Amino acid sequence: MAAEMALIKPISKFNRTLPKFRNPITPKPCYSYIKMSSSAPATSPKKSTAKPKKAIKETLLAPRFYTTDFDEMETLFNTEINKNLNEAEFEALLQEFKTDYNQTHFVRNKEFKEAADKLQGPLRQIFVEFLERSCTAEFSGFLLYKELGRRLKKTNPVVAEIFSLMSRDEARHAGFLNKGLSDFNLALDLGFLTKARKYTFFKPKFIFYATYLSEKIGYWRYITIYRHLKTNPEYQCYPIFKYFENWCQDENRHGDFFSALMKAQPQFLNDWKAKLWSRFFCLSVYVTMYLNDCQRTAFYEGIGLNTKEFDMHVIIETNRTTARIFPAVLDVENPEFKRKLDRMVEINTKLITVGESDDIPLVKNLKRIPIIAAFASELLAAYLMPPIESGSVDFAEFEPQIVY
Amino acid sequence: MLLPATLSFGSCTSLAAVAPTHQSEKSAQLHLPLGSSSLVFSSNTNFKFNGGLQPKSLFLNTSKNFKTSVAVQSDQVGSSDPAEKEVAKKYYFVVANAKFMLDEEEHFQEQLCERLRLFGERNMEQDFWLVIEPKFLDKFPNITKRLSRPAVALVSTNRVWITFMKLRLDRVLSESFEADSLEEALASTPTKIEFKKPENWVAPYPKYEYGWWEPFLPQASSKTEA
Repeated sequence: MAAEMALIKPISKFNRTLPKFRNPITPKPCYSYIKMSSSAPATSPKKSTAKPKKAIKETLLAPRFYTTDFDEMETLFNTEINKNLNEAEFEALLQEFKTDYNQTHFVRNKEFKEAADKLQGPLRQIFVEFLERSCTAEFSGFLLYKELGRRLKKTNPVVAEIFSLMSRDEARHAGFLNKGLSDFNLALDLGFLTKARKYTFFKPKFIFYATYLSEKIGYWRYITIYRHLKTNPEYQCYPIFKYFENWCQDENRHGDFFSALMKAQPQFLNDWKAKLWSRFFCLSVYVTMYLNDCQRTAFYEGIGLNTKEFDMHVIIETNRTTARIFPAVLDVENPEFKRKLDRMVEINTKLITVGESDDIPLVKNLKRIPIIAAFASELLAAYLMPPIESGSVDFAEFEPQIVY
Repeated sequence: MLLPATLSFGSCTSLAAVAPTHQSEKSAQLHLPLGSSSLVFSSNTNFKFNGGLQPKSLFLNTSKNFKTSVAVQSDQVGSSDPAEKEVAKKYYFVVANAKFMLDEEEHFQEQLCERLRLFGERNMEQDFWLVIEPKFLDKFPNITKRLSRPAVALVSTNRVWITFMKLRLDRVLSESFEADSLEEALASTPTKIEFKKPENWVAPYPKYEYGWWEPFLPQASSKTEA
């Protein structure tokens, strides 16, 4: 799961009103939010516990951990209460996850360490940050899915087992990324993260929108990097990317599961509120990714990609995919959408500059006000751009007009 | 084969993250305080929730002679029994226009390749095919009246998998039919498939090459079997 949802503020109750956007400032490139266990090859594994725990820096754009209302989830998927559940789709998904296509895929070789040793200078730091963020995102999926698998066991064993199998995938991914960090003589202390990170609470329906988008955007990011590097192997500077083709098929399947979950709860797909929420989540995810990546252009340029072109490609494809299930999506192919994103990047840069200046806090805050207002108005304008009606053909009103 | 990405999550209270010392090591242990249940990932599919959930053992059969399809469904059991071969078999399909199936939905190519690889790895007989302009469509006027041509169908004897593919592709129509033989089921009208080059291809990679679907056409797969 690639968590691209950071723009959304952790609020416990926001089912009635739209959550407010907090300003998306990242005080510093936020790689220091995790605790690195050791900078030397850990010959004695226990050593890492002795190191003092560094405080976790929670930044708005950092990958988040999620939690939800598990009781409501239990009710939603209780087959006795909810007769709409499409058992056939869930059985099909369960079979697909049991098949376990990537059972033997995540096998490392000696290329990893050799490539890591060759990565020096700024690019090395950028790679470490990439691995940390990806590992955190995958691990956050593991925690959420594992808990859902546990909690839904009684009311819906099929859905529960799918969650458990997805947590298997996420743990595998997180473990593989953490192994990658070991090439750089680092390791993420996932136990510490589990305890110390803040958890963002989402009502179940928001978990569906958010994780669906996270998984699908994760697929598009990974496959785009993979196919780009296949065409331009001279940028293949670390072998983990070679695993992305099979890896991201897991992400895509996870997204399909959330599709099925939403189809089983048509109330989350079929009214005007659902349309507003769909657009809101699309916008949050796309803007978060765009701002995040524009702060890390060195990484994308390091592997031969143009950051903004890469992001726009990922956004457009994710949006096309999402239009198969969400009742409304954004018109991201309208050039005005990209112009708005670019303006948000500029505003965000100004905000960062203010944060890094030597002014006293009061002056900084005063200087921020107009910048934040400008950002909010761009965001709102992007949200209000005419949307595109969409949805699964199993629900969409326009289905009779479709020629297949 | 061993999976190096082996994690063992224990329910101990220790917060130790153990950095793998070097890559020849087969596993790294990460002790996580994950509450009462614990999860063990070993080098193959076996994973157990010590806290309770015990997923049913996966269907995987490593026997070399194992020759059946991935999803062992009641309607397929016995498919390898020669006595039942003459009995009409049920085929399930999703169908849409060729442009959608073969040109636009590039993840579809990845999925089919992934599945073919899996069938090869597990020594299973292929049970899915792409059929360009299938003859069986004549039986489905309700489908053909809504279909652009040329059409392409993904056909399989595995009902469950086709249900999944319908969920994934969404913009497809799904149905099933019976046929006495594979040849009859997969019969097609020879049709030339042409796609215009995309006007503005902005992806940082080239499109999958024209003809990627050939290994999935019935003739190709029967040739490889022979």
